[in-house]
Amino acid sequence: MAAFADILKQFFYAPDEDIGELFKLPAQAGQMTVFQPEESAAEYLAFVLEQESYAVPIAQIREIVRAVPLTEIPRSPKNLLGVIKIRGEILPVYDVKVKLKLRERAPIVVGLEGEAEELPGSARILIVRDLEGDIGILVDRVLEVIRLRPSEIEPLAPGIGGGDYLLGLGHLGKDLFIVLDVHKALS
Amino acid sequence: MTSSPKGLSDFVAEATEILDALNRDLSILDQRRGEPLDPGLVNGIFRSSHSLKGLAAMFGEQRIAQLAHHTEDLLDRLRLGRLDLTDPVVDALLESFDAFQVVLRETERQEHSPDATQRAQAVCRKLAQFSETAAAPPRDDALDRLDLDASVRGVLTEYEEHRLLENLREGLAIWKVRAVFDLANFDQGLGRLNSKLKSMGEILSTLPSADPGDGTGIAFDIIFGSRTAAEKLKSALAGISASLHPLLLSPEREAAAPGGAATLAVAPLPSRARPGSSVSPPRPAVESRLATRKDPPAEAESSERLLTQTVRVDIGRLDSLMDAVGELLLIKANVARLADQASQSGKPAFGKLWGRELHRESRLLERKLDDLQKGILEVRMVPLGQVFDKLARTVRRIARESGKEVDFVMHGGEVEVDKLIVEALSDPLMHLVRNAVDHGVEGPEERRLLGKKPRGQVSVRATQRGNQVVIEVSDDGRGLDEDRIREVAVRTGIVAAEHAAELSERELQNLIFLPGFSTASRVSEVSGRGVGLDVVKTNVSRLSGLIDTQSERNQGASFTITLPETLAIVRALVVSVSGRVYAVPLNAVSEITSIAESDVKTVEKREVIGLRGKTIPLARLARVFQLPEKARMRHFMLVVGLAHRRLGIAVDELLGQQDVVVKPLGGRLRHTVGVAGATDLGDRKPVLVLDPGAIIEEVVNPERRPELV
Amino acid sequence: MPFKILIVEDSRASRELIVSTVESVSGVEAFTTSTGFDALKLLSRQRFDLIITDINMPGINGLELINFVKKSPAYRETPLFVITTEGREQDRAKGLALGAAEYLIKPFEAQQLEGLLMRYLNIA
Repeated sequence: MAAFADILKQFFYAPDEDIGELFKLPAQAGQMTVFQPEESAAEYLAFVLEQESYAVPIAQIREIVRAVPLTEIPRSPKNLLGVIKIRGEILPVYDVKVKLKLRERAPIVVGLEGEAEELPGSARILIVRDLEGDIGILVDRVLEVIRLRPSEIEPLAPGIGGGDYLLGLGHLGKDLFIVLDVHKALS
Repeated sequence: MTSSPKGLSDFVAEATEILDALNRDLSILDQRRGEPLDPGLVNGIFRSSHSLKGLAAMFGEQRIAQLAHHTEDLLDRLRLGRLDLTDPVVDALLESFDAFQVVLRETERQEHSPDATQRAQAVCRKLAQFSETAAAPPRDDALDRLDLDASVRGVLTEYEEHRLLENLREGLAIWKVRAVFDLANFDQGLGRLNSKLKSMGEILSTLPSADPGDGTGIAFDIIFGSRTAAEKLKSALAGISASLHPLLLSPEREAAAPGGAATLAVAPLPSRARPGSSVSPPRPAVESRLATRKDPPAEAESSERLLTQTVRVDIGRLDSLMDAVGELLLIKANVARLADQASQSGKPAFGKLWGRELHRESRLLERKLDDLQKGILEVRMVPLGQVFDKLARTVRRIARESGKEVDFVMHGGEVEVDKLIVEALSDPLMHLVRNAVDHGVEGPEERRLLGKKPRGQVSVRATQRGNQVVIEVSDDGRGLDEDRIREVAVRTGIVAAEHAAELSERELQNLIFLPGFSTASRVSEVSGRGVGLDVVKTNVSRLSGLIDTQSERNQGASFTITLPETLAIVRALVVSVSGRVYAVPLNAVSEITSIAESDVKTVEKREVIGLRGKTIPLARLARVFQLPEKARMRHFMLVVGLAHRRLGIAVDELLGQQDVVVKPLGGRLRHTVGVAGATDLGDRKPVLVLDPGAIIEEVVNPERRPELV
Repeated sequence: MPFKILIVEDSRASRELIVSTVESVSGVEAFTTSTGFDALKLLSRQRFDLIITDINMPGINGLELINFVKKSPAYRETPLFVITTEGREQDRAKGLALGAAEYLIKPFEAQQLEGLLMRYLNIA
């Protein structure tokens, strides 16, 4: 039914916010990759949380959307900020700052006048692939795609903190990127 | 061949079709236990297994191929009369069907669990046992003694040879029917000939050959096995240009050939007791040899999803969808034109005419989107009959196991409901039906003493009421014991003693849906009806449905489930509380009124409100959802629930009514309590849809307050 | 001029699987029928360069089809492949005896079929 599919696509397709040529997803973005040291450089998406720079393997990122208004879920876990709708799909959006000890409490991003916190204009939601259903992570600013070789990632020394969600420190020139395991940062 | 995802889905779709046909035939077979074997039916089941085997082999699905192979063997014996259709045999066939389902579902999800493999193997072993117990005659050279051309033998497949041999062993006569047709339209003639022959025996093979006569025709030699007498065959073929030739079987050295005309072959094997002579009580000898069925616990079976993720769709429905989309494109073009007009500089764009045109397009758009939406939902509809067949089998099985005699009556199987709903209903209906047989219907002796017919009846009836579907499961058994219910309710504190006496019969009966009635001790006290009913109710309310019960002592009980026809579209009331917007399914709301703060009273620290003389509990949605509250003088109250289990939900504002498409919250959000799903009301932000049933539960039974993370 | 291949197979899903393999070879066009009868009709109206048939089919089985086809002068030289189920030695033997060029056992690898096609159609 090729004609039918075309008609549907022509009618319904409406791309989300165009955030420009921020990056190109790699050819087989189908698999979820667990962080595995390899000899060649891997691509990561770099973003900012509270002035710190973080990096997540790009294969885990499905897309990036603007921080549109969220719908709050009553009595949900504190790190669940709310849900958004993307092309008909309802996705939960989480805060990771509390787990990463960047804040005491998760921001209230939805509510009555005065209740909600204003998000920076650069705020974005990263849509991350997950077996239980894709999820969103709220970040302050998205930087760019960087390449890091395993030799450029320094394992964390005890005392720097981390738990199992921090996978190492990436060095690129003078910049420092904290490599994050997104799924662990959600629990 | 390693298949692509499309290949896999093709396989699953075709396998599902075959299993559907198998399901239908097995149901009929199950229903007709004890009746003479219908060869057409057994043949049908046999063909399904055979096709399934070939299909599974092609896709490398070993487990299914093996199961199919064993099922095929068993059916072969049945249709040759070598095995009687006893209860254990039917049960084994039903088990094989269930095993097919389980393995196919796994295949679809590309899983391969050892559990399913073991189950399939266990069923294969069970099926194979019937091959052992049936007396198989020693293999002989009958085929060689048959007057069959070597060239014909050379084109018979192994399978066809096997069929031929079996026919000979069973004493059928073998014929060769030769017919000549025009090359242009041979299929019509051949089709007619085939139907005639099939009604009188088994077509073993069809050999095409060029017509030796004039070369414009095509000849077919049909090898055919039958018990029908020669004269009858000849007269049936009169009028068709076909000639009948017997294929003779030379006698074995020791066997006694009957004297006389050479139209029939060797003496038939000693006839076996025809099925139908051994009825209800299962033969103990066979029972003890077969392993007692300890395997899949009842819950596992009942939890099996009926069908895979595919739906068979009527092409007509898809065509109308195409049409609707086409019209939408036209509207879109018009809107674009109007927009162009508006953006042209120097022209009075927003004139009245322009506005009217835009309005018109907007109305058309709304109508067409509506059509499209309806059309898409229709595609998801499947008949309830699919679930009902399964229920029938369960009823018969449990009745047999408990020694009761129960008739199962179904009505309204053709009523269609969203596929997701049908699947989700499978468990609750199974439960209700099981309860009805286990605890509702009395044994034949007890019934006789009560002056009832010894055969009890369990019935399932589905009817359409507007855009709701009502399903009623009822029985003519003991009914609920109201005194016991009252007692238990008071004892467990669900109802205060003084109020207990005031409850109407109906209200009392509906108490059994409360979790407090589900524990084992309670179950026996209220004659078993409480089993899992709170779970049934939860399942039903998750479908935005309602459940109710009615009973008469010693006459029976009925359970009525009312559902919206489609899960997806719901008419909802849009409300706001603490600045948040929610949608409430209108079918759950029985009343909407305005209340004042001063009207709210408390009873034992719980808030209540008077409603036309009755006092009902009140829940402030803001408080239930732990939202910040602002003091207000007045609220709007939505009354939800049935009979005594009503609740008033207080909200801040009523924003309107709308038809919404509800998407259930999945993945990590699935444990959200009080929320059935999300929808969107136009702007991008999704709006949550409430689950009134869950809120009632939570407020009325505080011990069931959800665990908050 | 694409090569025309006739595929005779009663299972829909199996048919699709074979078609997708056959058409992945460039220059090849697949035609399908689900019964031996339909195959006969089609064969009387069109020329095919190669025929692939399942053996176990109701009505006219694959062996009967091959037998008939090989008797017709038009198809005496046409390569025929048969598809069989595992364990059916006799079927395979009969198939070859009747003139089939190759046999395939379910489940078979796509590459095997592709290789055979290219060889018998002389495609590089």
